[in-house]
Amino acid sequence: MNTFLTIKHIGKTFQPDKEVEVVALRDINLDIERGAFVVLSGPSGSGKTTLLNIIGGLDDATAGEVILDGKLLTGLSEVELSGIRRDHIGFVFQAYNLIPVLTVKENIEYIMKLQGRSQQECDVRCLEVTQKLDIDMLLGKLPNQLSGGQQQRVAVARAVAATPKLILADEPTANLDSKTAESLMNLMQRLNEEEGVTIIFSSHDPLVIAKAKHSIILKDGKVIADERTG
Amino acid sequence: MFFKLAFRNIIAARKRSSVTLFLTSITTALLVFSSAWMDGSHFTMIQNAVEIYPGYIQITEKDFRANPSYDHLIFDASFIETKLAGNDAIANYAARFESFVLFSADEKAVGGMLAGIEPVREKHLSRLFSSLQEGEYLDGDDTNQLYIGSELAKRLQLEVGDEVAFIGNGADYSFAADNLIVKGVFQTGLFDFDASSAFVYKGYFDKIMAAENRATHFIVLPKKPGQAEQLAAAIAADLGGQYQSASWNQTMAALVKAMKLDSFFGYITLGIIFIVIFFVIMIYTLLAVFSRIHEIGILRAIGTTPQQILTQLVLESSMLAFISVVIGGLLGGILAYYFSIYPIVFSGMEEQFKQYGLAASEMPTAFMPLTILRDMTVMFVLSVLSTLYPIFMVNRFKPIEAIHHV
Ligand SMILES: Nc1ncnc2c1ncn2[C@@H]1O[C@H](COP(=O)(O)OP(=O)(O)O)[C@@H](O)[C@H]1O
Ligand SMILES: [Mg+2]
Repeated sequence: MNTFLTIKHIGKTFQPDKEVEVVALRDINLDIERGAFVVLSGPSGSGKTTLLNIIGGLDDATAGEVILDGKLLTGLSEVELSGIRRDHIGFVFQAYNLIPVLTVKENIEYIMKLQGRSQQECDVRCLEVTQKLDIDMLLGKLPNQLSGGQQQRVAVARAVAATPKLILADEPTANLDSKTAESLMNLMQRLNEEEGVTIIFSSHDPLVIAKAKHSIILKDGKVIADERTG
Repeated sequence: MFFKLAFRNIIAARKRSSVTLFLTSITTALLVFSSAWMDGSHFTMIQNAVEIYPGYIQITEKDFRANPSYDHLIFDASFIETKLAGNDAIANYAARFESFVLFSADEKAVGGMLAGIEPVREKHLSRLFSSLQEGEYLDGDDTNQLYIGSELAKRLQLEVGDEVAFIGNGADYSFAADNLIVKGVFQTGLFDFDASSAFVYKGYFDKIMAAENRATHFIVLPKKPGQAEQLAAAIAADLGGQYQSASWNQTMAALVKAMKLDSFFGYITLGIIFIVIFFVIMIYTLLAVFSRIHEIGILRAIGTTPQQILTQLVLESSMLAFISVVIGGLLGGILAYYFSIYPIVFSGMEEQFKQYGLAASEMPTAFMPLTILRDMTVMFVLSVLSTLYPIFMVNRFKPIEAIHHV
């Protein structure tokens, strides 16, 4: 087994007040292979978002380690984590979160530019990705001129264009109707196969969950199922 | 890319940007104009004070200014005369001999200054001639004709044509006295000066006061008054250690100091306005930055470093500050330029002005591009500085905190 991402004894306790403690994750242990297409499911409040944030280095775990492609992420500085996110991790958010003042093309190029790629390289990659996602006719538009489904496809394009090793998508379809959701999932599946990028997404939509080849179910911050189907 | 983003963000936040732009450019214009106004009025006051009588440069024997007695006279006026005549940078010069005498007319006796001057040259060197109030100015062939300050004349109850006697010491400490006829009365507007000064032709003065080829000082008008200091130094070097050559900066040190103090208080007043503006911009930036904190969190999440966020936000505030400062600088500069050519006239305030030794009621501003640039730079730095604290604040958040911040 070619392990790409290892999650060891991850625990997370929030302390919103001095008196209150919320245990969001307890002793999570997971192995994820390179090129996997993984779904995190479970009821609301089960810890899906928290786990994705910790994997992506957006939040610190209170216990345990995250090892991405042989590199220990736990304890890295903000600057080191920024670099890892920029070069190796793509994010897709539930609320799309495109940069409002940039066009579709500029949004997609943003991370590539941070990576220091040339305009020519950006152009080529942008065209390639947008054709795959069927949004190449939207390149000059601003985010607020697009539908939700279109915006989410742009967000996926932005994440994948920078050739990350891993894409983390937290309920990417939650704001979409079921038809749009399904087509987005099909596209993500295609990217997973064609680009070989590992994708972990969360959802509680059975239709979406069914697309995954590796299903992890959380409940009350614990893994209650970890199955590979593909 | 950061440039493009900064530019778009400025445009997108139109309302905030225009308020910041407005505040900063108005403040810049205010600073530029205030500087021009203060410099201009100080320059006018000093110029007035200098030109009424003291002159741009005074040459004395080396110890005279510290100890103004007959022991420290210029004993060889023709030597100085020759030196000055050969200096191309000098527009005009003349010798003076000032002595302190007792004037008496009828029942009245008043102490004052009686000075021998060269009437023709003096016309170009001071405002004595143009301050003529009654009668006539002096001539180069006068004998015992007196040109007297209006207040002194009043105290002695003298009119043009009246007779007045004086008693004093000659340059050799001998007793000197004569009868004089009032030829003209002058009023410079400098009360103290008008109340204590009277002039006679130096040729006559030298005879009666045994002051042939002597002088208390020479005054010099440079071709370029702005370079009085350099010229004074050059003259000093030329004349040698026996003499002292002082520019108005030294001879009018008290006035120069007063002007500096006035500028200082002027800048403090402006400073208070700036502090207010500084905090307004800061609070405004704070609000603006926090309204974008979610977006900033997203940028961080997708790999933008805190350093790059800092660059991005500082670029935005610098671009805005730059535009504001240019607009404000132009606005203030145009005003400063306009009022340097068409001075503000304080009609009806001549009397107050005269108390300050101002014979004019016109106040041109000083149009000095370097000062304007200085003020623009100060404003630029200030307004960028005022955005730094909010920017650092927002940059302290972790990406997830920023995304979830409400
Ligand atoms: N910033 C936070 N402060 C306090 N509690 C939090 C915070 N974020 C999440 N939680 C809590 O952690 C638990 C897991 O939340 P989350 O990971 O968002 O679940 P999910 O994404 O599966 O709905 C919930 O009980 C939630 O209330
Ligand atoms: Mg969630």
